[in-house]
Amino acid sequence: MLAVRGLRKSFGGRTVLDGFDLRVEPGEFVALLGPNGSGKSTALRCVVGLETPDGGEIDVSGNAAMVFQKIHLVGRRTALDNVCSGALGRLPLRRSLFCPHDVRDEAMRCLDRVGLADRALDRCARLSGGQQQRVAIARALCQRASVILADEPVSALDPQAAVQVMELLVDLAGEGMTVVAVLHQPELARNYAHRIVEMVAQ
Amino acid sequence: MTLAPSQSNTMRTVPRRRWPSAAVWVTVAVILAVHVLAWQATEFSPAALIAGWEGMADFLAESLPPDLSVLGKSLEAAVITLYIGLLGTTFSIPSALVLALLASRATTSAAWAQQAARAVLSFLRSVPDVVFALIFVTAVGLGPFAGVLALVFHNTGVMGKLWAEAMDESDRGPRDALRVTGASGPQIALHAVLPTVLPSLAGLLLYRLDVNVRSSLVLGLVGAGGIGFLINQSIKLFRFDEMVTHILVVLLLVVVVDQASALVRKRLGA
Ligand SMILES: Nc1ncnc2c1ncn2[C@@H]1O[C@H](COP(=O)(O)OP(=O)(O)O)[C@@H](O)[C@H]1O
Ligand SMILES: [Mg+2]
Repeated sequence: MLAVRGLRKSFGGRTVLDGFDLRVEPGEFVALLGPNGSGKSTALRCVVGLETPDGGEIDVSGNAAMVFQKIHLVGRRTALDNVCSGALGRLPLRRSLFCPHDVRDEAMRCLDRVGLADRALDRCARLSGGQQQRVAIARALCQRASVILADEPVSALDPQAAVQVMELLVDLAGEGMTVVAVLHQPELARNYAHRIVEMVAQ
Repeated sequence: MTLAPSQSNTMRTVPRRRWPSAAVWVTVAVILAVHVLAWQATEFSPAALIAGWEGMADFLAESLPPDLSVLGKSLEAAVITLYIGLLGTTFSIPSALVLALLASRATTSAAWAQQAARAVLSFLRSVPDVVFALIFVTAVGLGPFAGVLALVFHNTGVMGKLWAEAMDESDRGPRDALRVTGASGPQIALHAVLPTVLPSLAGLLLYRLDVNVRSSLVLGLVGAGGIGFLINQSIKLFRFDEMVTHILVVLLLVVVVDQASALVRKRLGA
């Protein structure tokens, strides 16, 4: 479950979020739409702690993971390594130099879940954009997230890859995850999301 | 016949030749003045060079042909010089890495730690390796060991700064992505920054190895062993023919190291 109430954030006197509210239940897939600069990314970044909100409340049951438009994997490392790094938050530093066996097993299951177990040992830079985005989702799964926030996850992908990623996100919601995705194409939102939330520029 | 207004406008907007402003003249004057001062301070004197040409001609006459009987000794010393550069580079890896990680804003968020690490790096960088060598000679005596120590200290400063800059330039996205997973600062450095910048770090390491081998020659001149030391001795004993042999060997050493490091760097793609 994700509940955001009265979220406020400004950058250097410029108000980006002025009392933003959002409530998403487990099993629900919400699409976030709105013009450029309306604060969609800022809202998601506040939820995962990449920005510090000026005010408001954020409630997350469990772990929130984030998926980015630019994907942000380490291209020189393998898909498996990148997925393993989702587990860093629960590993003490001394166990995180090399990915421990149990985490590797878990990471393999996450890669399998997104249909990329056979590419586990490929460097991410060699995967296609759609495959990379699915590896990023596997990393979120390895984080044992119950909430996935996706910031324009398919904006940089070709239509086929976009559909694959959207279907994956819907399936994850179907399995009980809380999913919020910023989308730029309204028809994708209509086809896949359970609910659409429109943001307006301040 | 009268000109249409638009035509006369275009005529008027043809840019006029502009004379340099006063600021430019002042800048030129200052630069000239500084050069005059420098000329005097360095006792720059083409006349002295012309007057002394005989000395140089004698020197050249004595130095040719090179005395190749010292070639074996020279090659042995060249290998020592190579070893000084090698150890001076590799032994500075741990200290340069720790200081670079502390100095880079990609891996350290505490401003005081960044400032402290940068201050240490600046200090090590600004003391020339020759000065470090003269200091260490007083501690461990003449010889290659003092040269290695000197290079370790100076190279930590230079390589640490270059490495920190490479880390600064690394993409912020993967760092953010790992922060979201709850990774700590050191974990982010280990799993996002280092894997990304490793090829650049390796390229810079090879570049420093190349520079350090050449520096260890100069360190030899101040007593830190190797072929630089032999060159110094030959000059003191007026054995210029030996010196030329040593210099030819140095030339060989520099070209070989330069080519080898360029080759490896190319293969690294860095
Ligand atoms: N770190 C930041 N510093 C300053 N301004 C920012 C920062 N992040 C976002 N902004 C500004 O906040 C506004 C909203 O940005 P963003 O949340 O990225 O909008 P969206 O994702 O809806 O396009 C934009 O005008 C952007 O320039
Ligand atoms: Mg955005």
